[in-house]
Amino acid sequence: MLTSSLAAQALARALACGGTFAEIFYEDTTEWSAILSANQIENAALSRPRGAGIRVYDGLRSIYVYTCDVSPAGLLRCADRAAAAVTDTKGSGRDVTLRESVTPNIHKIALPVLSVPAKERADVLRAVNSAARAVSDSIVQVRAGLTAKEQHVIIANSEGLFTGDTRTYTRLACSVVASDGKENQTGFFGPGAHMGFEFFKTRIDPAAAGERAAKQAATMLTAPYCAAGEMPVVIAGGFGGVIFHEACGHSLEATSVEPGMSEFAGKLGQQIAAPCVTAIDDGTMENEWGSENIDDEGTPTTRLTLIENGVLKNYMIDRLNGLKMGMAPTGSGRRQDYTYAPTSRMRNTYIAAGQDDEEEMIRTMGDGLFAKAMGGGSVNPATGEFNFAVNEGYLVKDGRIVSPVRGASLIGRGSEILMRIDRVGRHMTMEQGVCGSLSGSVPTNVGQPMIRVSKLTVGGK
Amino acid sequence: MDMNINEFIARALEATAQAGISPAEVSCSISDAFSVRARNAQLEDYKVSEKHSITLRGKVNGRIGTARTQALDEDSLALLIQGVRESAELIETEEQDEILPPDERYETVVNFNEALEGISAQEKIALALGIDQLMQGADARIKPDDTVVATSCSTFTMKNSLGLDLSHRSNMIYSFTSALAKDGDRAATGFKLHWGYGMDAIKPEALAAECQEDALSQLYAGRMKSGKYPVVIKGSAMSDLLSTFCGIFSAENAQKGMSLLAGKEGETIASACVTLRDDPLMDWGLASSPFDREGAATFRKNVIEGGVLKTLLHNRKTAKKAGCKTTGNAAGAGQVAPTNFYFVPGEKTEDALLAQLGDGLYLTEVTGLHAGANGVSGDFSLLSKGFEVKGGKKVRAVEQFTVAGNFYQLMKDILEVGAELKFEGSPIASPAVLVREISVAGED
Repeated sequence: MLTSSLAAQALARALACGGTFAEIFYEDTTEWSAILSANQIENAALSRPRGAGIRVYDGLRSIYVYTCDVSPAGLLRCADRAAAAVTDTKGSGRDVTLRESVTPNIHKIALPVLSVPAKERADVLRAVNSAARAVSDSIVQVRAGLTAKEQHVIIANSEGLFTGDTRTYTRLACSVVASDGKENQTGFFGPGAHMGFEFFKTRIDPAAAGERAAKQAATMLTAPYCAAGEMPVVIAGGFGGVIFHEACGHSLEATSVEPGMSEFAGKLGQQIAAPCVTAIDDGTMENEWGSENIDDEGTPTTRLTLIENGVLKNYMIDRLNGLKMGMAPTGSGRRQDYTYAPTSRMRNTYIAAGQDDEEEMIRTMGDGLFAKAMGGGSVNPATGEFNFAVNEGYLVKDGRIVSPVRGASLIGRGSEILMRIDRVGRHMTMEQGVCGSLSGSVPTNVGQPMIRVSKLTVGGK
Repeated sequence: MDMNINEFIARALEATAQAGISPAEVSCSISDAFSVRARNAQLEDYKVSEKHSITLRGKVNGRIGTARTQALDEDSLALLIQGVRESAELIETEEQDEILPPDERYETVVNFNEALEGISAQEKIALALGIDQLMQGADARIKPDDTVVATSCSTFTMKNSLGLDLSHRSNMIYSFTSALAKDGDRAATGFKLHWGYGMDAIKPEALAAECQEDALSQLYAGRMKSGKYPVVIKGSAMSDLLSTFCGIFSAENAQKGMSLLAGKEGETIASACVTLRDDPLMDWGLASSPFDREGAATFRKNVIEGGVLKTLLHNRKTAKKAGCKTTGNAAGAGQVAPTNFYFVPGEKTEDALLAQLGDGLYLTEVTGLHAGANGVSGDFSLLSKGFEVKGGKKVRAVEQFTVAGNFYQLMKDILEVGAELKFEGSPIASPAVLVREISVAGED
């Protein structure tokens, strides 16, 4: 456990040779995961990652040193290694006084996963397995994984902050393979929350989750390949929000904006999306997968309007990029764990509910694609080029869904697709993802109502 | 109060013996890393780290349980024992990653250079700033992004209660630089990485020039018409495809119905010019090691030879199930992975491949592999870049198109494997290949 007196001592040592700001991030985490595959529990392991990272600002330069050795000697050595890298020696040798602050916990946990008997945890995986296999004879493989994590963090900095947070995550991952002996198709559903084991009692039925992944695989097995071309595309709610996450969200992170490597840099107050588009990044939603009480720099998390009626309102900003940009941090400084320095990241990011009728948007689209389930994607923030997989797609002819199609992908540029959204549905839903970037992999929600894009390039075969 | 690592390992083995957990095995990975990032003639990041992780495995009632920790205190000893017991109680699989005595003989392989450990932080900083400098002002259209110089050193140690005591150490240095090329509304990014085992592995002038060329070559890219084209896939792009689909060669996946290569040993699965090799004993290989994560001795083997599948990659568990010997490809946590894995080069230069292609596509980059490629079905549909080729010459850059296909089919459609093999910061590599046909979705 990191005490405030040891933290103060380490921070003072980190600033011994100069530097304008020092921060220590300590974590002690317990993780448990189990995997069921081929009808058997094949892996179950408990692990305890623990360590601390010390960051010093040397002017606008970040020095980051981390260690697993959190003994007083280990932490002070870590601080000394950071201090040794400081080049701007003005104002060296400062005292640090810490004041403990407590941020109210809005994410109540009813049932910590490790307090539940191991057999009961394993039963969640068995329920996924039986339900998925019951969907079709074509289901040849079900892999179900349960991950539970309790991360205790303590964050202190040379401005006097000494605070902490506990983040509890539970996630189920259902991967299903359907096969006809010649070809394989897959289905996936991975629900999670900032919750304990009560997740399986109040939010998610494991059997229904397994069934959903299995149906996707079985449907895609009989689907022909999607034809390639430019066409209107309707994207369903929930994981469809990955399109916004990738094509726009990453380009609104200070990490891309500050160095001018974003197509949205310098565009605050400008119309960057169709007027029907409002987008939010909200870290305060109760018990949501991307929520926290404080970010990994100790700043209370916030609800941030990114785009309002198509106009760019805010960027997501961490402390260091905030200094460089002359703007206030937005509680968006996140990191995977102590092995990463924090930077600006998304939390629960979604396109807000709009006014349009979901049935109408398909009926009036003519010929195109209905992307019911999206897979992952990637984007080059500098150019806005993106690529998403469509895990479950349907061909639309003359406003009617006619058949499932496989192998489709959506490609384009972020700035173009945002302007081409011409319908936004009324019911916003969110799903869970793990977003990878400079500061590692962090839990994020993506979300949107059903939307329509008037024209997109669909990759197929 | 924390113990030192060796003390903790000894205590953990003692504690398992006392708890009646036998046999037991401790593996420990220790890594030290350094990196600096330069941008706009300034150092932007400076990162130093030391990290260790201890994994305890032990047999309880015939099942092997696993637990891990980074904290080396008394609490953790208790947690490890409890974790191993609970894990062993839950696990249902018959085949286990057995804890065994050492193999009779282990080869030696070198991928550690003592000299690299002596290079100071100042030298690495100077190198990063030097490369950044070379990127500035070379061409008005180039906006340099960041330049990173990094070194790392890792030690992996295994000890068990049956006399196994192994350790292997490796290190490396790498540097990459990236840039944005801009001209009016046009934009393209460039990236280049050099790596090796000494400062001389990083060639600043070449690195900067190659990165700029990468960005500029795509700046005025047009689009490709949709259709089917014969294609030469550049080595780096083919390496990316092989990395994405290397899971199909895992016996673990095959036994679980996640690979269509199950039971195909001895059958032709690729064109006759294709030989695919796994070589853990290659000196200066990124994934070289004399033993795998189960302590089994490693060796060189062809996975595909002349188009015929010779073997899948095994650990002890999958080998036992298949009735064969492990191939020394245990990757830890019951997984199987290739080591240094590559298509064995053929005779022809890339220019000769392009000449043989005549008219078609030279595919230089595929992106979004984690999303647009399915490791199980082999299907891929990937946002790509390249050049249109006419009469064996690159005539214009093309972008914003996807190439779609299936990796199993692709291996059969390879007409030639090029002569130049280069590992580009990854243990998985391929020369350029000439492929009969690939689907392109671009302009209508």
